[in-house]
Order: sequence, then C-alpha cells, then structure tokens
Amino acid sequence: MSETYLPTIGIECHVQLCTKTKLFSEVDNDARGKSPNSCMSPVDYALPGMLPRLNQEAVELSVRAGLALNAEINLDCRFDRKHYFYPDLPKGYQITQMYHPIIGAGHVELPDGTKIRIEHAHLEEDAGKLSHEATYSLVDLNRAGTPLVEIVSQPDIHSAAHARDYAKELWRLMTHAGVTLGDLYNGNMRFDVNISIAKPDSDQLGTRTEVKNLNSFRSVERAVEYEIKRQAKLLDKGEQVVQETRGWNDATGETTGQRSKEGAADYRYMPEPDLPPLHLTEAMIEAQRTKMGRPLSETRAFLRQFVSENIVEVLLDYPKLTAKLHSLKDYWLESGASDQKSDQQAATHDAWLKKIANLFSSVLLAEENTSLLNDELPSDAQLSDLMAMVDQAELSSTGMKEVFLKFFDPEMHFKETRMIAKELGVIQENDLSTLEAIVDAVLAKPETKQAQADYRAGQTKVLGFLVGQVMKESHGKANPSSAQTILKSKLG
Amino acid sequence: MEVNQGTIQHLAELSHFALSEEESSRLVTDIKNIVDYISQLDELDTSDIEPTYQVFEMANVWRPDEILPQEADREQLLALAPTVENYQIKVPKVL
Repeated sequence: MSETYLPTIGIECHVQLCTKTKLFSEVDNDARGKSPNSCMSPVDYALPGMLPRLNQEAVELSVRAGLALNAEINLDCRFDRKHYFYPDLPKGYQITQMYHPIIGAGHVELPDGTKIRIEHAHLEEDAGKLSHEATYSLVDLNRAGTPLVEIVSQPDIHSAAHARDYAKELWRLMTHAGVTLGDLYNGNMRFDVNISIAKPDSDQLGTRTEVKNLNSFRSVERAVEYEIKRQAKLLDKGEQVVQETRGWNDATGETTGQRSKEGAADYRYMPEPDLPPLHLTEAMIEAQRTKMGRPLSETRAFLRQFVSENIVEVLLDYPKLTAKLHSLKDYWLESGASDQKSDQQAATHDAWLKKIANLFSSVLLAEENTSLLNDELPSDAQLSDLMAMVDQAELSSTGMKEVFLKFFDPEMHFKETRMIAKELGVIQENDLSTLEAIVDAVLAKPETKQAQADYRAGQTKVLGFLVGQVMKESHGKANPSSAQTILKSKLG
Repeated sequence: MEVNQGTIQHLAELSHFALSEEESSRLVTDIKNIVDYISQLDELDTSDIEPTYQVFEMANVWRPDEILPQEADREQLLALAPTVENYQIKVPKVL
C-alpha cells in the first residue's frame, strides 16, 4: 500500500523570461505563431566565430525572479559551458551557470503555509525545438537562446497535491514579478519532477526517478501520483526502482521509461570564456525590487482583507487584475474625493474593492469571458464612478454588471461610466417627484384597480404586481425599492 | 590523468564521432602528449586559488534588450545546412 511509504519530491522548473530579445543575440524572443527559424541569428545558429552578447534585461529579470523566491542574489556570478551533442543545440554546448549561479538559497511559501526551500536558481539558454518525423527529425531554432531561469527546489515536497501547489505558486510568483508571460501552453514554464519513496522510519531516501518536461500543474500532480503508485507496487513485490528518466503521457496518464543514455551523462562543464563575469551591486538589486512591484505575499494578504479565500486564489491567477485592485485603492487614497471620515472612507473602499473583485471573478472569470482580460482593463475612474452610481442607487446590481461588461467593449472603452449607463438605459429613476408621477399614472390605470383593492383588503402580495407595473411604466428605470415605498404610502 | 583507447572512445561517443581503429590510436598518442605537457602545471599547489575565468578585468559586459537586424537572414543561414524542409534543418532521426 502506498500509504506505507513517504514520497520525497524535488522539482526543477524552467522559466522562459519575457525579454524582447534572446539571451545572447538581438533577435525576437517571442516566437509564438512564427514561421520556423524566422527568429534566429548567426549566434543562435552557432556560425563559427560568433560570440554571445549578453542581454542586460535577462540579468535583471533573473534578479527579480530571485527576489520573488526570497532568495539571496549572488553579486558575483558567472557562466559555464555544459557540453552535449544533440541537434537542438548547434554549438555543442549550452551556456549555463554551473558553479556561480545568479540566485542562491531561498524559499517558497505555499498558500497553506508550507515552506519549500529553493536550493539555487541559474540563468541559461533554452535549446531549439525538434519535431520527429517517421525517418528523420526537423530542427527549429526559434527557441534556441531564449533566456531561462532554472529553479531547483530542495526535496521538501511530500505529496502530489503539494507538488502541484508548488508548481502553481512558482507560476504565480514569476508572473506577478513580471519575469515571464507564464503561457504554459507555449512552454513558458516546464517542470522536471524527481520522485522517490521510502518507509517513513527509514533514514535513507529511495531510488528516484525523474519525470521530465511537464507543462501543466495538473500533469505535475498526476505524474507524481502515478510514480508513487508505480514505485510502491515495485517495492511491495520486493523489486527495485530503477533510477531513470521517464516520460509523461498525458493521454494515458502514465509515465514510461525512456531509453537510458549509454553510460552516465558527462557534460564536461568548463568556464565560459566568451562572457566576462557579472558583478552586481546592491543598488542594481534594489532597482529591480522597486520595478517588480508588490510581492505576491503582500498581494495575497491585501486580497484576503476583503474577499473570500477561494476568490483570492482565483484572482491571483491574473496579476493584471490584482495590480488593478491595488491601483484602485491608491487612486482613492490619493484623490481623497470623499469627505467621509477616514475610517468610514476605508470601509467604503473595502466594500468597493470587494464588489469590484467579485465583478472580476464572477463576470469575467466564471462566465468564460477571460479573453476580455487580454484587452485593457477599465480605468480607475470608470470603476470608481461605477461604485458611486451603485451606492447612489442609480444602478441595480444587474445594471452594474451590464455597464461593467461594456467597459470591455472597444467602442465604449474610453467613455465615462455615466455615458455608458445612459446609452444602455440602465440608470434607475430615483427622483422622488418623477417616481411619484409614474406611480400616480399606474394607479390611475383601470387594470390596476383590482390590485389596489386587494392590497387595501390586506393582500400585500399584490404589491409585487404593482411595483412591476411601475417598472414597466418607467421602462425599467425606476428604483424598485423607492417605487415600493411610494406605492405603500399612496395605498396606505 | 590516464589517456587510453577507452578515454578516446568515450569522448568520440559524447561527440557522436565515428573513429577508425587507426584514428583512435593516433589520437591516444596525440592527446596523451598534450595532457602530459599540460600536466607540468600539476607541480604547483593551486588548492586555494580560484579558477581563472578570464584574463581581462572586464565585468558586466551586456547590451540593451533591443531587436536589431542581423547580418545574415534565415535563407542565408539555412543555405548552409545540408538538407532543409519547410524552413527547418533536416537531421537523421533522433529520440
């Protein structure tokens, strides 16, 4: 039984950095949807004599990645060559950081408080992409030279669920720090998972296997679940786990042993002579700390103040949304438009943030409108006006949703909230004298006479019908609760 | 450091070279000579010395993150490959 074993899991994660150009050449780093080998320079092609030209932005984004990992930044770091011969790597070696990585020890805290230590993280170049045909393979070097930060965890993970949570938390940390686009479908983050199991009282770890190239949180979780079961079955039968690299098949939900390399890997690391070392300064690091904005932990604590835990975790998947909520709060504090006392004001702002957070999560995320998020988000002023109109009962909750959705309509995008509400015809009539006139008109209609009599006879349920008539008469613009109050006083 | 047929064979495999018996023997002699020559340095005690990464005093040599036109385009570069299919370099099947 697998319950009798304790799994030990370590994860290596490759994060593609969202620089404009590659790590060592000045060509386009975003090859999504582009023709093969169209993003390639003589450096990426490894023409003899070509020299790498280091991208400063890649170094800076690595610093941010390190800060997001609560890690030490190694002020002195260097590059090394890792040699292997494969068609996706034209130089015959990968430029990486074996001995002096840019990011030292750190840790990641999962939403449930579990801490996973980071061993180190280093900056390196990605390889090209191979596609395998029946009798040959094809090489596309668009991805060759894309900057990667490889994050190596300590073997601190002990369940499939935590493996998934850790992968997801890394994604959040990296996207919130603006280090990567985080497009998993396009391989922006890829996970290699090392798994072993042993009896809980054993002082030695079991033999581990490595499942490589997982590109979703779900596949990380499933691959770990599968490996734990597979290894437990072997051990239960008295057999051995073979140390090997295994591939993951998402369709079958199984891992399979890959043809093992003949002999142990021998990468013949050596110092990279073409790239001088880096000497970073505290000032450079502080500059990146400022640029990367709020740490994820702070954003999470901020959101937890006004929305429930499950909505917090949904919103955190969209750094753009959480940044918006932060900026709104700042906007309100700066504008200080309200003449309320400060504690009252804070309460109003929290109520507004809660409403807006819920709008984001219910209207955009739950109703599969997430594509709208690719566009510009509503402005601070638009959202503030929307909240004010709701507070003034000028918009019903349905009206609020309609206006909110229109914010994402390209034609409405720059219009004021009130203009949009007017065009939609959803502003509620709150003016009492106007409402009174409408109520009078309704009460004068012969078809409402019976209902009026019924109400006076004590059948208060018919009030709903009369309110409905007022709504109809006002073309849906009457504030229903005001209409009800007026009706009651007229009939009473 | 011992250099023998096994060493040369191992290096050849790592680089996917096919060497004939004769080439292999010649390389054993050549590489042995080179390694022996370099081994004179073993006389020095380097235990407390950081390996030299470079002999110039340069650091932080980097460039701005800007896309620039390249001196050779895809057509010119791919023309150097023995076989190309659909803008990709065609190689023997690898797994």
